[in-house]
Amino acid sequence: MNSKKKAWMQDLRALPFLLPFFIAYLIFTIFPIFKGLEMSLYEWNLVRKLEFVGLENYTEMFQDEFFWDSLWNTTLFVILTTPTMVALALVLALLANLNTKLQTFFRGSFFLPSILSVAVISFLAIFMLQPYNGLVNTVLQLVGINAEPFWMADKTLAWVTIVVVTLWWTVGFNMVLFLAGLQDIPESLYEASEIDGATRWEQFRYITLPQLIPIGRVILLLQILASYKVFAQILLITGGGPGGATRPLIQYIYEVGFTKNNLGYAATMSYALFFILLVLSIIQLRSQRSEGK
Amino acid sequence: MKKSLFLSLLSLLLVLAACSGSGGSDEEVASDVDLPEGTTEVTMWNLFGGGDAEFMQEIVDDFNESQDDYYINNVMQEFDEYYTKLLTSIGSGQGPDLAISHSHVLPELVNQGLVVDMTDIASEVGVNWDEFNQNILDATVYDDQHFAIPIDTHAQIMYVNNELVDEAGLMNDDGTIQMEESPEGYIEFFKTLDENLPDEIIPFTFSSTGGDPYWLWWGMYSQLGGEHILTEGDLENPTYDIDLDKAIKAAEFVKSLYHEHEIVPLNIQDFVSEFQSGNAATTTTGVWTTGLLETTEDLDFTPMPIPNVFGEKAAWASSHTLVLPYYDDADAEVQKGAVEFMKFATDNGAMWAEAGHIPAKDSVVESEEFQELPYRSEYAQVADYVNFVDRNVYARGIEEIITRNLDSIWAGEVEVEEAFSSIESEITDLIE
Repeated sequence: MNSKKKAWMQDLRALPFLLPFFIAYLIFTIFPIFKGLEMSLYEWNLVRKLEFVGLENYTEMFQDEFFWDSLWNTTLFVILTTPTMVALALVLALLANLNTKLQTFFRGSFFLPSILSVAVISFLAIFMLQPYNGLVNTVLQLVGINAEPFWMADKTLAWVTIVVVTLWWTVGFNMVLFLAGLQDIPESLYEASEIDGATRWEQFRYITLPQLIPIGRVILLLQILASYKVFAQILLITGGGPGGATRPLIQYIYEVGFTKNNLGYAATMSYALFFILLVLSIIQLRSQRSEGK
Repeated sequence: MKKSLFLSLLSLLLVLAACSGSGGSDEEVASDVDLPEGTTEVTMWNLFGGGDAEFMQEIVDDFNESQDDYYINNVMQEFDEYYTKLLTSIGSGQGPDLAISHSHVLPELVNQGLVVDMTDIASEVGVNWDEFNQNILDATVYDDQHFAIPIDTHAQIMYVNNELVDEAGLMNDDGTIQMEESPEGYIEFFKTLDENLPDEIIPFTFSSTGGDPYWLWWGMYSQLGGEHILTEGDLENPTYDIDLDKAIKAAEFVKSLYHEHEIVPLNIQDFVSEFQSGNAATTTTGVWTTGLLETTEDLDFTPMPIPNVFGEKAAWASSHTLVLPYYDDADAEVQKGAVEFMKFATDNGAMWAEAGHIPAKDSVVESEEFQELPYRSEYAQVADYVNFVDRNVYARGIEEIITRNLDSIWAGEVEVEEAFSSIESEITDLIE
C-alpha cells in the first residue's frame, strides 16, 4: 500500500515537468490532427470554411492522376533509398567500428553531413552538379568523358541525384544506430567462436548480422517513415521537375493547399499519406512481435 | 517529500511565467520606436528582398521624416510564405494596415473581400488617377472601384552586352542592335552572335525552367495577338479561352531557341550571373535585374524592350501594388495614413525606379529626376503595351500548371500539342 502510494507520488512529481510539453503537444499536434480530418470533409480555402462536401474530396483524390503520380514518386523514392540506406549504413558502421587509427576520422566524417541543414546540403549539391561549370561535370570532362549530363534536369538522372544526396546527408544517423548495435554485441561471443575456429566471415555471418537484426528493424521502420515524408531536398534541388517527374506527394499537397488555395483537398491527401504510414507502421510492429515470440 | 513536490510546482510556475512573458513580446516590437504624441502608427507588410527591400525602406524612411502625423512600421516578410500569411492573417483580423500585393494576386484579395475599395479615401487624400499610366492602373480597377494603388510595372526585357554585340558586328553607331523584327530576324541575330564570337561566349543566356521562359512564351503569345488563357469578367467563374494556334506557335518558337537553333544552352543554373560576368552576349529577364547589373564593375550593357518579333508590341509584366486590408473595426485615421503613404510612394516613383522598376505614374516617368537615371528610360515605354496575366482568383494555380507543362516542352520531353492538352485539362479541372 505504502509503496503504491509512493509510486503515485513519484508520478505526480513528474507531472509539472510533463505538463508544459503536453499542453503544447495538445495544441500543436493533437488538435490539428482532428482539425485536418474536419477540413478534409469541407470545401475550405486559405481564408475560410466554405461548404460541407462529405467524402467528395476523397472520391476526387482517387480519380486525380497527379495524386497517384506524386504518390508513386514518393514510393519510388522509398524503394530506391531504403535498401541502399540500410546496406550503406551497415557498411559504414562496420568501417567505423574497425579498431584502426582512422576510427575517429571515419566516425566524424560519416556523421558530419547529418548535422547540416537541408538547405545547405541541397545548395552544395546544386553547386557541384550544375551543368557547364559544376564540379562533377568539369571533372568528368577532365578525365576525358566528353558529355554534359544534366544531373538535375534529366528525368532519370534527377532521381539518381536525389537518392545519392539523401544517402550522403542522412546515412550518418543510421550508421550511429548500427554502431551502437555493434558495440552492444558481447565480446564473449566472438571469443567463444574464435576458440571454436570460426573465420572472420563466419563470425560476421552468424554473430554480427543476427545480433544486428533488432536495430536493423528499427532503422528500416524509421527510414520508411522518414522517406515517405520526403519533400525539402527535392523541392530545393529539382523543384519537383522536370515537369513534375520528381514531385513528391508532400509537394503536391503543399501546392494544392497554398497556391491553388484548396486546403480541404490538401487535408484529404494528407490523410491518405497518414493512412499509408499507419498501415506500414502496424505491419512493421506486427512482424516484430511475431519475431519476438 | 513535500518539499520536492513544492519545488516542482514552483518550477512549473516559473516555466509558465516564462512562456507568457515571451508571448506578449510580439506587440511590444511595434512600440519599440518612440512615437511622438499624436502620431498614428501604420503597420506595413512587404514581400521584397535584396535591392527592392532597401529602396522600399528608403521610401518609408523619407515618408516618416517628411511629416509627423503618421509613422509607417515597415515589416519584411519571407516571400515564399507571403501570400499564405497575408490572406490568412487579414481573414482572421490580425494582418497589417497596409500591404504590398502583386497585381495577379489582387483578384484573390478582392474576391474574398480582404481589401478595401479606396476610391473615396484616395480622393480625400488627393490621389490623382490621371497621373497614372492607364495600362498599369487598369490592372487595379474592379467595377470602377480602385482596390489598389500601383507603384510600378515590372516587365520582361532584353539586356545586351555592348562590347560583345559590337565585337560580333551587330551594333549600330547609335547603340541600337541590328536585328530585323521578325521571327527569322530574331533567330538570325543570335546565330550571328554565336558564329562571330568565341566558342565559350553564350549568345543568349536564359533559364530553361520556371518563370523566365514562361514569361517569354506569354510575351510571344501576346505579340501574336493572343490575349488570354481564361476569359476575364467573373473572377471566380472564368472559362478556358486560350487561342490554341497562337499558344502553340509561340511555344514552338521558344522551344526552337533551345533545341533546333541551339541559341540558349539548356539548364544553366544561374543564367543572370553568366551575363553579369560577361560570358554571354544577351539575356532576357525582369527589369529588376537593372539594379543588379549597374552595380557590376566593367559591365557595359544596354537594356531594351523585347524585340517585336511577331508584329504586335507586347511583353509579360506584373505590377506591385499597395492595398488596404479590410477589417470590421478599421481605424479611419490609420487607413488615411496608409493611403497618404501610397500617394507619397507613387509621387516619389523615381526612388523606386532605382530598383529597376518602371514607375506607375506617367508624370514620374516624364520627370527630370527619372529621366536622369541611367538605363531606365530605355525601356519605360513598355508600360503602355505590356500584357498582364488574366484576372481571376486562380492566377497562382494557373501559373504553376503552365510553368510545369512548359518546362516539359523545353526539356524536350513532350510535344507542344501534348503539353497544351494537359494544360487545358488541368486548368479546366482547377476552375470548375
